Amino acid sequence: MMQPKPATVLSIRGLTTTFPGPRGDIVIVDDVSLDVARGETLAVVGESGSGKTMTFHSALGLVPSPGRVVAGEVLLDGADLLRLPPHELRQRRGADIAIVFQDPLTALNPVFTIGDQIGEVLRAHTRLSRSSARKRAIETLERVHIPDPHRRVDDFPHQFSGGMRQRALIAMAIALEPKVLIADEPTTALDVTVQAQVLELLADLKRDTGMGLVLITHDLGVVARYADRLAVMYAGRVMEQGTADRVFETPRHPYTLSLFRSIPHLDTPAGTDLTPIEGLPPNPALLPTGCAFEPRCFHGGGREDCRSGRPALTPTDVPEHAARCWHWTELASERRPS
Amino acid sequence: MLGYLGRCLAHLMVTVAGIVTVAFFLMRAIPGDPAQYMLGDYATQESLAALRAQLGLDRSLVEQYLLFVARAVQGDLGTSVATGQAALTEIIDSLPASLALAFSGLFVAVALGVPSGIAAAVRQGTWLDVAIMLVALGGISFPVFWLGLAAILLFSHKLGIFPALGSSSDAGWLTSLHHLALPALVLGFSVAAYIARLTRSAMLEVLNQDYVRVARAMGIPDRRVVYRLALRNALVPILAVIGVTFAWSLGNAILIEAVFSRPGVGSTMLKAILARDYQLVQAGVLALATGVVLTNTLLDILYGVIDPRLRAA
Repeated sequence: MMQPKPATVLSIRGLTTTFPGPRGDIVIVDDVSLDVARGETLAVVGESGSGKTMTFHSALGLVPSPGRVVAGEVLLDGADLLRLPPHELRQRRGADIAIVFQDPLTALNPVFTIGDQIGEVLRAHTRLSRSSARKRAIETLERVHIPDPHRRVDDFPHQFSGGMRQRALIAMAIALEPKVLIADEPTTALDVTVQAQVLELLADLKRDTGMGLVLITHDLGVVARYADRLAVMYAGRVMEQGTADRVFETPRHPYTLSLFRSIPHLDTPAGTDLTPIEGLPPNPALLPTGCAFEPRCFHGGGREDCRSGRPALTPTDVPEHAARCWHWTELASERRPS
Repeated sequence: MLGYLGRCLAHLMVTVAGIVTVAFFLMRAIPGDPAQYMLGDYATQESLAALRAQLGLDRSLVEQYLLFVARAVQGDLGTSVATGQAALTEIIDSLPASLALAFSGLFVAVALGVPSGIAAAVRQGTWLDVAIMLVALGGISFPVFWLGLAAILLFSHKLGIFPALGSSSDAGWLTSLHHLALPALVLGFSVAAYIARLTRSAMLEVLNQDYVRVARAMGIPDRRVVYRLALRNALVPILAVIGVTFAWSLGNAILIEAVFSRPGVGSTMLKAILARDYQLVQAGVLALATGVVLTNTLLDILYGVIDPRLRAA
């Protein structure tokens, strides 16, 4: 297991979350280890249901009942969030580590003003008076580029556009300058033009405050542009991780390679066929005994070791990089088609 | 906001007019002749005809209705044939006792129903939730007159803590409060059962919303999440059921007043219906309908205050 680097602010080690199923516990997050350093953007990609969101909800103690975190530790500045008493965990959430939810339409409370909702977060963690909380809320709205914040602070969510709601949510999350910000598919629900603005905003805020940024996404274009490091998740497991550039250049897991082949790039020659990933995302209750990706794998699929043994996340020939595949050396000798 | 209020007011007047019209024709559809009731079985045909003419019962139904409307608009709801007093005065005199019962019942219902519904939702699936919902099921299943009789048996007869009958409004406020307690508790309990069940389901729905998860993720304390951020969202359906049950408890007040032998609009109306005292029944229906519609109008205004999205609509 890798030791956390000195600049690491959030370190998730061996996090495992299960939900009870009809035939025993279903593992939704399976031995996930991730690190986020100060001022760094970690992108977590994977199909829907791959456990991206649940990993970070588990880390923050937000797993909905009857699910529960059964193993691992979540070190935020050295303190294990999973073992903090509830009131201390509450104090950390929102102040030191914050999360921006996926859908800005449902993540804002419809019967309170935007200012009230930001103020509520501020007042949960500080001794600010009502009026100074309002002032801070206006300043925060200004930082996320809400036009005319003095007036818009008293608006209700239904008076905001989709992009502005997402900004308001980001404002709530950064109001207390957290050390780590988790953005869960922050642009999925937005127009394409607004998507870029929101991502630029997140990148600017990260640069200004030096916080660690986790970008949960399934948009590889976003990853290529904004991520420093990348973790690819499948069936609740990290399949491959490393610096974003290296993973793009020299993927060492067939699933990652399949993901790249399934989407078009600007440099894809016209007329080249895209290759969809055959089969369906796995049912977490019926995972194969061996490699979770084996049934859909173009590379090693069907081989005995892939079917019977579960590969560990092992360092590869690429520096600061690890993959969960028995046969990554064969991929290393293969040229990536581009 | 002003347009919203105007619409509420227009709605109020149309509804009251509709209810009074229905009451007018329903009363006349019931068999029985008021003149016969007043003069008894041995009255002569001539005296019956004279009384009918005096009461205007010899005119056509449409004529009677138009006359009633014309007078009602001027605030004249006719004279009670039984007592000879103005029907409106008669109703207004019996109103305070009924309002005291209805409002104290409402108070008990809200004070009991809303917190227990919230507690059941927050502790969904625990023994507390099951216990609260079982008691609420009892409150809904048993008819209110049966609950009243059971309460009299237990609290008045066996335990002797509350008086069983009457209101003794002349004996000071403490005594009248003592007399009010048992009927108010019975009325309130049956209504609280509905409110608790609805509060529970409304809160459960809200507690599953993303914005509640966001609030928790932002480290806002649980109490604040439940009682401020979530509750205000659940308040519109909760207020709606309070409105409906208030109307319904005005009707139930008739039963409660009968069981506890209390004076009030309910017992006045009961006597009036039995005596085919048209004017008094009409005045009573008008009073009850206005009460119900006023409550609903008040709630409509409150919805707008609570949920900003309804103001625009």
